[in-house]
Amino acid sequence: MPKKQDISYHQKVTDWFQQQGWQPFPFQEKTWKSVAKGKNGLLNAPTGSGKTYALWIGFVLKYLQQHPEVFTKPEKGLKVIWVTPLRALAAEIQQTTQRFCNAMEIPFTVGLRTGDTSTAERSKQKKQMPDLLITTPESLHLLLASKNYPKLFKSLEGIVIDEWHELLGSKRGVQTELALSRLKTICPTMLIWGISATIGNLEQAMEVLLGTNNSYLTNSVLIKSNIKKKIRVSSIIPEQMERFPWRGHLGLHLLEEIIPIIKSSKTSLIFTNTRSQCELWYQAILEAHPEFAGEIAMHHGSIHKETRLWVEGAIRNESLKAVVCTSSLDLGVDFAPVETIIQIGGPKGVARFLQRAGRSNHQPGKESIIYFLPTHAIELIEASALQQAVKTTTVEDRIPYLLSFDVLVQYLITLAVSDGFHPDDIFKEVQTTFCFQALSETQWLWVLNFITKGSQTLQNYDEYQKVTIEENGTYKVNNRGIAMRHRLSIGTIVSDAILKVKYVKGPGIGTIEEWFVSKLKPGDVFTFAGRNLELFQIKNMQVLVKKSKSKNAKVPSWMGGRMSFSSQMSTLLREELYKANHPNRSREIKALSHLFNKQKQESIVPEADQFLIETFKTREGYHTLFYPFEGRFVHEAMGSLLAYRISLLQPITFSIAFNDYGFELLSDQEISIQEVLDNDLFTARFVTDDLQKSLNATEMARRKFRDIAVIAGLVFQGYPNKLLKSKHLQSSSQLLFNVFKDFEPDNLLYQQAYRETFEHTLEEGRLIQAMERISNQQIVHKQCSKPTPFSFPIITDRLREKLSSEKVEDRIKRMLMQLEKD
Amino acid sequence: MTEDLSIGNNNFILHPSGALFWVEEKTLLVADVHIGKTAHFRKHGIAVPTNVSLENFTKLNRLIQFFKPEKIWFLGDLFHSTLNNEWHLFENWVLQQNAAITLVIGNHDIIAPTLFKKLGITIVAEIRTVEFLFTHHPETHATLFNFCGHIHPGYKLRGLGKQLLKLPCFAKKGNQLILPAFGDFTGNYYLTKSEADAIYACTEEAIFHIKTHS
Repeated sequence: MPKKQDISYHQKVTDWFQQQGWQPFPFQEKTWKSVAKGKNGLLNAPTGSGKTYALWIGFVLKYLQQHPEVFTKPEKGLKVIWVTPLRALAAEIQQTTQRFCNAMEIPFTVGLRTGDTSTAERSKQKKQMPDLLITTPESLHLLLASKNYPKLFKSLEGIVIDEWHELLGSKRGVQTELALSRLKTICPTMLIWGISATIGNLEQAMEVLLGTNNSYLTNSVLIKSNIKKKIRVSSIIPEQMERFPWRGHLGLHLLEEIIPIIKSSKTSLIFTNTRSQCELWYQAILEAHPEFAGEIAMHHGSIHKETRLWVEGAIRNESLKAVVCTSSLDLGVDFAPVETIIQIGGPKGVARFLQRAGRSNHQPGKESIIYFLPTHAIELIEASALQQAVKTTTVEDRIPYLLSFDVLVQYLITLAVSDGFHPDDIFKEVQTTFCFQALSETQWLWVLNFITKGSQTLQNYDEYQKVTIEENGTYKVNNRGIAMRHRLSIGTIVSDAILKVKYVKGPGIGTIEEWFVSKLKPGDVFTFAGRNLELFQIKNMQVLVKKSKSKNAKVPSWMGGRMSFSSQMSTLLREELYKANHPNRSREIKALSHLFNKQKQESIVPEADQFLIETFKTREGYHTLFYPFEGRFVHEAMGSLLAYRISLLQPITFSIAFNDYGFELLSDQEISIQEVLDNDLFTARFVTDDLQKSLNATEMARRKFRDIAVIAGLVFQGYPNKLLKSKHLQSSSQLLFNVFKDFEPDNLLYQQAYRETFEHTLEEGRLIQAMERISNQQIVHKQCSKPTPFSFPIITDRLREKLSSEKVEDRIKRMLMQLEKD
Repeated sequence: MTEDLSIGNNNFILHPSGALFWVEEKTLLVADVHIGKTAHFRKHGIAVPTNVSLENFTKLNRLIQFFKPEKIWFLGDLFHSTLNNEWHLFENWVLQQNAAITLVIGNHDIIAPTLFKKLGITIVAEIRTVEFLFTHHPETHATLFNFCGHIHPGYKLRGLGKQLLKLPCFAKKGNQLILPAFGDFTGNYYLTKSEADAIYACTEEAIFHIKTHS
């Protein structure tokens, strides 16, 4: 039986809900009860469903129950930590939680501590922590890097990890796991809760959060909100499919189709896949329809924070008709007035698409409509697959990282910077995390050796000997310079050097990657934040610009724009495609019949049991195309694997291109498909071995290593006002990679680069599954006289990988002979 | 693997490493070694293992064994920046040489000439002979043939199947031959066809003569 007092608090909360015109959802009640019972857990609830109240009120109620004196004799000190992946969300959570405390007249303070928090505010917090602290994984680690940190956490009752699905599949998730492992020891009574959107592996997500084999996991509960949204996908199909292009990624030719949609709804969000596409669409809409001026805005991650906040505010108070945006509006912030969502181009993943669709019409029970605008013909198959996805509510898994030694190195130095640590204690804690459950004693000793002596090849350099072992066995950083540099580099997000864009006389406009600006000369004009700007000069990490009236502007392309189909998405896509030859087709597939007919003139549209290979010759050389329909990452891996295997049969040079549907091997020599089949080159055996030997895996690992080197502190990104040029960062991490490759191949960080390449970039598991699937299909080889519609977007892709088994000298000889012939 | 080039009555051998050997004078010519670039990185917070800086000296030693020169002329930018650890590696290397060493000063060579002189190295702004002018920066001269460095020439060779090879090269135009950068740590300036009469592209093992004007 709950105490009387307890019931009345609960009653007060329900009353307050009623005053707001709400009623607690069953999942909120359930969460309150579970927290009161001292359970840990994971709450599966979408954005805008009241998930913040589910946990915050839960913790407040539990506290009131145990500390009824709080109204008269409040005890100071940190009670709950709220970790959020996005700084932008922190303010929103602060408002929500503070509002509740104020209404209930509970004297709790809510404080923020993120990268944006001022030094004054930080030192104030150091003296007196707020009752609820909202922070990010990075700032939480910074707290662990401060002297006497256990004192800060001594009164902690619970910690909430918000948007856990976002953190889970990244190294920030590992960072969170490690921080939790420490807090579990410092405050053993603390409860751990996560909040996650729907993902395929919710149960695993909870295990990763709570750690393996421990009392936290046995005393836990997974709560699902079961709020189902009705979603309808409506594809925009051009009337004249014959004229619809076979390739492209902008989709601007269908611009007029979305104008009536925008006009007929209150507020629309137009999602694009990249920031450059966002800029182009914004400009194009305004150019074609100047009447929208002042009524549409743009939102993406590089735009100045103030502008973004203004746009978000304007959406909320309904003063905007439409916002062209990127994934920057995927998360968090709730926009009630949004009525319509338009997705431009394939979203590549089901979960992302559903999340975007859910951004509209937040009233429960109402149907959300999402319009899909294809940027080229074949994307209509994606639209059709997404229809299926919505029906079957298939969503992707988020794959947690395992044995991320770079994050572990960083974490141990963090502990050594603050109070120092004893290896035996920390080893036990680290082993309880999901990420390091398989950490061996040998590996642990390697890591300890690495932070104290540097590794084998680096031991002559004192900058790698960061941690000293004191007489009593404490591992500690005593050098103040090392400590300061370490604090500056805590975190696992490594990006290109970012420059501020600013008017020569006037305010800042946003940020831009160094590598784009480095291609511009003063006087060049580029489009940014919807304006045409002329580059004046680059000075002190600032890009100074002037307004320009020039029409010929370059559009910055931001790195990292290329995404790949998830495995769920590609399965759905194949299923849709295989319906093409059959009567039971979707509207989208029917619209593609013109393209399919063209495809069938030279080749086929494959059936479920067929694997299509096309070969043809153009003046560029001999093209061979393979269509596994598995997403670009798998194709990238399969392309280099196959190229490598063929290159063992004969000295040959390939240029490899790939998209979400298939891949191309282009060469100046003809490949015999018969030989490929006779030698069983599609076998799923020896995949790991062959991939490792194909040069591209080394190249990819080299790129991965750059991040690892930064996270592990091998390279220093520079001081805030004097960041290292990314060119320098690149070359120094590459050098280290080469040195490890040649002299220290058993270096754990070096090996990690390969492991990440195989597990996360090349998705080896999916690759093997795909190859097994192909081995059960009938191979159909079509020799075509010209490029087919399926091949067209691939062969025209300029972003390519290379693989060669020829001596450079032989290649040059043939190229020179060819030149003389021409 | 090497390529012969005769200018007037003089014979030169182009080596894939980017070095040039003047047969009659038994002189080895090397441009833009940029020693100390690695240490320069290190000073700015990027640590580069020593093995990399040793590479330049290993390469030089191999050349010396191969050509057995009596004189070694560096055509500028021998050192990348100010004095650093690699100066000691360089000192050691110089002490082991029998050949007479001359440095034609380049824009990166800011180390005090007295230090070079102590090691027995001659410092000059340029070297003139009856037929030739050796400089760091490319110079046009009415009568003398100019050997120089500075621009780090490279060439992009394209072929069928979207092949593209980027190679460092010797570039000959009129009465001038520009040497490629010898150091590993240097970027290249890629020439267009019209910028040279003949390109001698270097791979690890060989030199390829590419005619740019037909």
